[in-house]
Amino acid sequence: MDIFREWYHDRHRYAREWKEKTGGKVIGYFCTYVPEELIYAAGMLPVRILGSHEPQDVTEPHIFGMYCPFCRDCLAQGLKGRYDYLDGIMIAQSCLHIRQAFTSWDIHVPREFSYFLPMPHHVQSPRAYPFLREELAAFKKALEDWTGKTITDQDLDRGIEIMNTNRRLMRQVYELRKREEVPVTGLEAMYMVLASQMTDKVEHNKGLGEILAELPNRKLERRTGDRLMILGSENDDTAFMNMVETVLGATFVIEDHCTGSRYFWNEVEWQEDRLAAIAARYVDRPPCPTKDWPKRRRLEWVLEMAREWGVQGAIVVQQKFCDPHEADIVAFQKALQERGIPTLFLEFDVTVPLGPFRIRVEAFLEMLRQEDLF
Amino acid sequence: MITAGVDVGNKYTKVVVMKDGQVLSKYMVLSGFDQQQAAEEAYTRALAEAGVAREEVRCVLATGAGKGAVTFANDTITEVGADAKGAVFLFPSGRTIIDVGAEEGRAIKCDEKGRIVDFAINEKCAAGAGSFTEAMARALEVPLEEMGPLALQSSKVIPMNAQCAVFAESEVVSLIHSRVTKEDISKAVHDAIASRIISMARRVGVEKDLVMTGGVGRNVGFVKALGEGLEMAVLVPGEPEYVSALGAALAAAERAAG
Amino acid sequence: MGSQRYPTEALRCWGKAKELREEYYLNYRDAKARGGLRWAGGAWTFDAIPYGLGDDVYMLTSEPYGASIAFNKELALQCMEAAEKAGYPRDLCSYMRIYWGSILLDKYPWGGGYPKPDFIWQDHICCSHAKWYQVVTDLEPDIPMYCVDVGVGPYHQLTEHKIKYVADQLADGIEWLEKVTGRKFDDEKFIQAVKNECLSTSLWAEICTLNKAVPAPLDEKAMYSLYVFGTLMKANKKVVDFYTELRDEVQDRVARGIAAVGNEQCRLMSDTQPPWGFLKVFRYLERYGAVSVGSLYTFGLEGIWEIKEDGTWGPRTTPMAKGIEIKTRDQALMIIAEWNLSKPEWQHFYHPQLKTDMMARIAREWKLDGIMLHYNRGCEGLSCGIAENRLGLLKEGFPVMTFEGNMGDEREFDEVSVLARIDTFMESMGYKKLY
Repeated sequence: MDIFREWYHDRHRYAREWKEKTGGKVIGYFCTYVPEELIYAAGMLPVRILGSHEPQDVTEPHIFGMYCPFCRDCLAQGLKGRYDYLDGIMIAQSCLHIRQAFTSWDIHVPREFSYFLPMPHHVQSPRAYPFLREELAAFKKALEDWTGKTITDQDLDRGIEIMNTNRRLMRQVYELRKREEVPVTGLEAMYMVLASQMTDKVEHNKGLGEILAELPNRKLERRTGDRLMILGSENDDTAFMNMVETVLGATFVIEDHCTGSRYFWNEVEWQEDRLAAIAARYVDRPPCPTKDWPKRRRLEWVLEMAREWGVQGAIVVQQKFCDPHEADIVAFQKALQERGIPTLFLEFDVTVPLGPFRIRVEAFLEMLRQEDLF
Repeated sequence: MITAGVDVGNKYTKVVVMKDGQVLSKYMVLSGFDQQQAAEEAYTRALAEAGVAREEVRCVLATGAGKGAVTFANDTITEVGADAKGAVFLFPSGRTIIDVGAEEGRAIKCDEKGRIVDFAINEKCAAGAGSFTEAMARALEVPLEEMGPLALQSSKVIPMNAQCAVFAESEVVSLIHSRVTKEDISKAVHDAIASRIISMARRVGVEKDLVMTGGVGRNVGFVKALGEGLEMAVLVPGEPEYVSALGAALAAAERAAG
Repeated sequence: MGSQRYPTEALRCWGKAKELREEYYLNYRDAKARGGLRWAGGAWTFDAIPYGLGDDVYMLTSEPYGASIAFNKELALQCMEAAEKAGYPRDLCSYMRIYWGSILLDKYPWGGGYPKPDFIWQDHICCSHAKWYQVVTDLEPDIPMYCVDVGVGPYHQLTEHKIKYVADQLADGIEWLEKVTGRKFDDEKFIQAVKNECLSTSLWAEICTLNKAVPAPLDEKAMYSLYVFGTLMKANKKVVDFYTELRDEVQDRVARGIAAVGNEQCRLMSDTQPPWGFLKVFRYLERYGAVSVGSLYTFGLEGIWEIKEDGTWGPRTTPMAKGIEIKTRDQALMIIAEWNLSKPEWQHFYHPQLKTDMMARIAREWKLDGIMLHYNRGCEGLSCGIAENRLGLLKEGFPVMTFEGNMGDEREFDEVSVLARIDTFMESMGYKKLY
């Protein structure tokens, strides 16, 4: 289990060693709508760019302070040279906040390869499928032009297989979290999925296979306690997860984050036209709020998960200033509460004030426990 | 030629009287509610100290947040303009000036004549200015003037988020409860506020030499954090709070001559 | 006022502009009573399409609606407080919060309660555009909503399939409109509206081009009251007629050397929406003889531009002027999709450099001395990349000042400090107050 945490914390060393070992190229990406299938097909390593949760003073000239702390934290990593091993950077269209981390990186930390993929927003329209299919074809060609190597259908099949295996295995881990006494904490699950975004998935799949052999019989040293869900924008705040699970004795049994379930939930379903198959997967995946309109499909999905995982309370978090989530939160809190699931809203920053947050979560848990009495 | 500069700040009003490039006298009073009266008082006292009669003064320029209240001034100059002029007079090699006062932090890039090339000022928030340190001193139950020296005794790095003074205060309280020493907390506070100022200063681009002015220049803990954060020596004049008034007096001489 | 250098004159068509705007809001309010339809959508939406539903169809575009309320500080605050009370965060788009507040309070500034639309016809370019009306449907669940995605990438990389994605969504939208309104879609009326939109948006660019003249015949403060028709009903014949008249008048002003600001000695541009409650900032600039001659925002939010043969920026040639005959619905959809995708104010969503290049072009061709960037906390869309624009423009050698504020939420504007910044900026460029 420790290997996932190590991969997460030593992400830069991992990527450097991978490069040395394989001689391959590494592409840093800013959003999980990036089709990693194609990057694997091209024999490259995709790594997700995340922040480091340290206060920093280098992004002020580049991103106006009204945008989320996450996008500024990500950019800071680039400006500080921590991702100097990247050969390329790319983003798929999602929110304007993280896009600024990408464009400022593009200007000030230029790499050999830089790509903006216009992932459609209107994923509820059937027109999104052919549009994305064409965009994937353009992206494939850009990769081919860069490397001088053609990406064949066999390559695409391999990329799809690597990604799908990872998704299938992660789903198996999450299935086990439905149990009354869960064999894995929310923090451990978070490390698993985060690590999958910064390691070679072939290796990650091996790690998952090994852990899945043990998990069904694994007993945590403590009871599951209050079953919580955590949902909202990007979240790799391990310090917060750890505080809630170790100090306050509750367990996160499920989550809805782009750093979590939204990333791996659905697989590519086979079609003869591989690019169309990949396109369909990204159009149909659990949506980011920027793409979740006019209907609130993400809400239906969250409610379904809450029911299946036996959630008693939900912590709704959001990166400060995250517009897309801010337009969802009122509707989400209302719907969850109507189904008897109390919610607590917290605004995340680069570092969260653990003291004040502990008091809030503690009071929230006390409220949940009181409700159990009646 | 005798000229004077009057800087009516949010907290203090400062006057500098000059003759042919030499400072004759300086005076400082609390601005209080009546800025006009404060300016009058400081000016009268400064003139008395210099032994100069009112009618001998060729030109008076007012600056600072309350510059409009200086009824006896011939004209005004902006705070940023006065700051740059004063700092480059004291340190001719100064190209970046960081001025941190009670409620405002500024970063100014200037040329060799003290002319403004670019500037940045903190927005509506106390987190980037002197009052933030005051609030943290209260939380630590330490007199304000001891905060700086305390910080010098620590070499620990404790990340603190100085985005919001209220949250920072509760972070300080949490640190006290987890028995972190006052020295370490004091350093963390100065690092955090310096980081805010550095962040703003990077907007104008920090070039050598760096001069720090404003009342917070007296805080050794802050000056050290600033220098370390920017990896640069920080030049601080002996009386950093008088730099704007000095700049105004210098500009007054230029205007009277030109 | 002090140091008059050029003659000034009030705009003759000013009264007409006022009338046209008033009529727009009243028509929307009263549409139902006359058996017509009304709809809501953003200022950027493809408003040519609902014209195919008939001549008695009126719309209320949301951003100018928010700006109109923002101008009324008291009502704006009431609206925003109502939205905050309902749980919506204070850092969201201020137009959007004002709009929701107007629903929650059931208030319409032109009399009566919030006039509920029959349908929503929106497009999505910034993160908030679709979400804006999604929340409206949370509050008013029986209003049907359609929204078009236009995020296909920058104009210079446009390909056929990208235009088709937008046009296909619009085609689906027409079927949807027929279903929700029960009306038959009239292609001829629609094609006429497409022509109107090309004409009005090109005309607006032409009017802005006239402001290259020294002295500037228009100042930005006046332009705000004029460009607004492009945001209200760009596909309406009335706007084509009004802009034609305005173009002729501005041409005449240039010929006679009439200035917007008589003591013009320093030419500036701004960026993003202004803080609507504090337009007096522009009056303050005049004390320095400084005039803001426009911005990418006033020029390119609705104006459609192209690079002319001589390499300068000017109004985009309409399909009609190129001799293209618009005959079918599909052809009209492709044309209007492509036309809109060339909008200058959409390009920075993909990369700030695209905006920096356009701004530097304006600074050169409109002969500017300096640039004032409004870091607008009220609009994540137009403030996107603004810090990089600042760096880019400084690199191009232009003096730049920034000030923080909010187009709709005056609680985020610090008047005293902004005026002090202007003083410093003007002082650094060597200008003195003239009065």
